[in-house]
Parts: sequence; structure tokens; C-alpha cells
Amino acid sequence: MRRDKNLPLTETVYYILLALLEPAHGYLIMQKIEELSNGEVRMAAGTLYGAIENLLKLKFIQPVQSDDSRRKVYVISDEGKRVLKLDFDRMKHMIEVTEKMLI
Amino acid sequence: MRKFRFYIDFEKEEKWLNKMAKQGWELCGKSFIYEFRKVEPNNTTIKIDYRTFENNRDYEDYLALFKDSGWEHIAGSKYSGTQYFKTVDENGDADIFSDAPSKAARYRRLSNMYLITAISYLPVLIALITTKAIDVSWFLNPKLLYYTPGLWERTGADFWKGFLFETPFAVMRGFALMFFPLLILFYLAFVIKAEKHYKANLKGK
Repeated sequence: MRRDKNLPLTETVYYILLALLEPAHGYLIMQKIEELSNGEVRMAAGTLYGAIENLLKLKFIQPVQSDDSRRKVYVISDEGKRVLKLDFDRMKHMIEVTEKMLI
Repeated sequence: MRKFRFYIDFEKEEKWLNKMAKQGWELCGKSFIYEFRKVEPNNTTIKIDYRTFENNRDYEDYLALFKDSGWEHIAGSKYSGTQYFKTVDENGDADIFSDAPSKAARYRRLSNMYLITAISYLPVLIALITTKAIDVSWFLNPKLLYYTPGLWERTGADFWKGFLFETPFAVMRGFALMFFPLLILFYLAFVIKAEKHYKANLKGK
């Protein structure tokens, strides 16, 4: 079977998808990513906005209803979850073979 | 204070605006010209994004994201394309982009806008030619810009009188002939320039 063409995900896309397992608006996504990555990944507003736009186009995330009239809230889609899991398995495999060979 | 400038290079434009802020002139509006207001000289960092929006909802959401992350929107509108943000930053290394591809992508959006503008003028040009409002053969033979019958066979004062009388009209016809082709060429030149910046930024120059 051929590998999914969206793999591998970039670090930022991976973290955005991970952050959106629960609904969040843009700034909350930024904060979650910083937290999840132990402060290693800090996304700037312009970069995150473009990434969200792109993930919406790919249908990896979708907008959800919210009380906030100004900020749009998003959540991961089933397709997004599928791709996230595929990339997780890909990295898990890399970690397993590396552990066997290197450590 | 008002100033007229034209930039395709966002980095140069940002540099200029930051220099103005250091001298106590902060950008407060941008239409065709830049408008500045007098402020205390400060270490403001101004950054430019390029985006247009289809509806207010999207635009508000966009502005909210920047505001939440510490960037104040100082100039630009839903359709203006260029969006100007400022933040107070002691180190001067704050940015609205955190990677090279997204920083470059604003040039791609700019070049697309110029391309669409250039293409949108083509039907106007074609309409002018097909309705004979302008004639391409004028280009090869400027004498045809003069409509007076037998003008070029006249001699002496008779010729000069007719020639000088019609010259303003001929110039206008010539201008009409050249206007849209030149406009399209200018826009195409902007497309090429913006694309060059896009490629250079993508490589993370």
C-alpha cells in the first residue's frame, strides 16, 4: 500500500492537530502548542493563521459553533485524526527501530 | 504627516516604517498614501501581512488572533491587502511569522493579486480594439492618429495650422492606445518582482 501523501506531517501541523483534539480558537491553539512542546515550538500569529487556513482546506480540522462572536473555534475532523494517527505510527516505528539499533 | 511611497518588498517597507516610528512618526493609516501621527519616539516594531477577506467574520477572527498575541492592528482594511501590525518590543526581534515558508507566502498572495489585476484589464483592452475605439495600426504609423482628411498633403502655414490644431487630440488618442497595454505591463512587472521575493524568502535568505 502506498503511503498517505500528507505524511510526514510538519512539527507545527502535528502539534496543531494534537491541540485540536479539543475545540480551541487561534490564540488558545498557540498556547497549547507552546505547552505541549515544552516551550520549544512557538507559532507566530501570521504563521498560525495560514496553517489553520491550509488545514481547513485539507479538511483535517473543521469550525465549530461557539459563544465567542469574534474568534472562530476549530476542532480536529475524523480525517485529521486518521492522519495524526498515521504520522504517530510512522514516528513510533522510527523510535522502535532506533531503540533496537542505537540504544 | 502624509507621504507617498510604493513598495513591493515588505522587508524594506517595514524597515522604513520602523525608522519613522523611531523618529516619532507612527503609521496610522494607509490608503494610496501613508499617514503618520506624531508620537513619542519609541521602539515599536511594525510588521506587514498581506491578506484580503471575503467577509467581516473572517476579518474579525484574523484581527482577534493578532490582538490576542500582542499585535495591534494600525492600518489596513478588509480589502486593502496590506495589513499593518505593531507591537512594543525591546529586543526588536518580534515577528508575525515564525517560519520562512509562511513569511514568503505573503509575497505569493501579493503576486496573485497583481496577476488577477493584470488579467482583469485584458478584456478592457480587447473591447477597445474590437470596437475600434483604439486602432493597433496607430502604433506602427502615428500619422493615422490625425483624422483631418488630406492633412499630410498640405504644405506651409496651412499644414501647421491643421497639424497643431489636431495634435492635442492625436496625443489623447495615442495615450488611449498606450494606456492599457502599459498598465498591464506594469502589473506583470510587479508579478515578476513579487514572485522573486517569494522565491528568495522561501529559501530563507
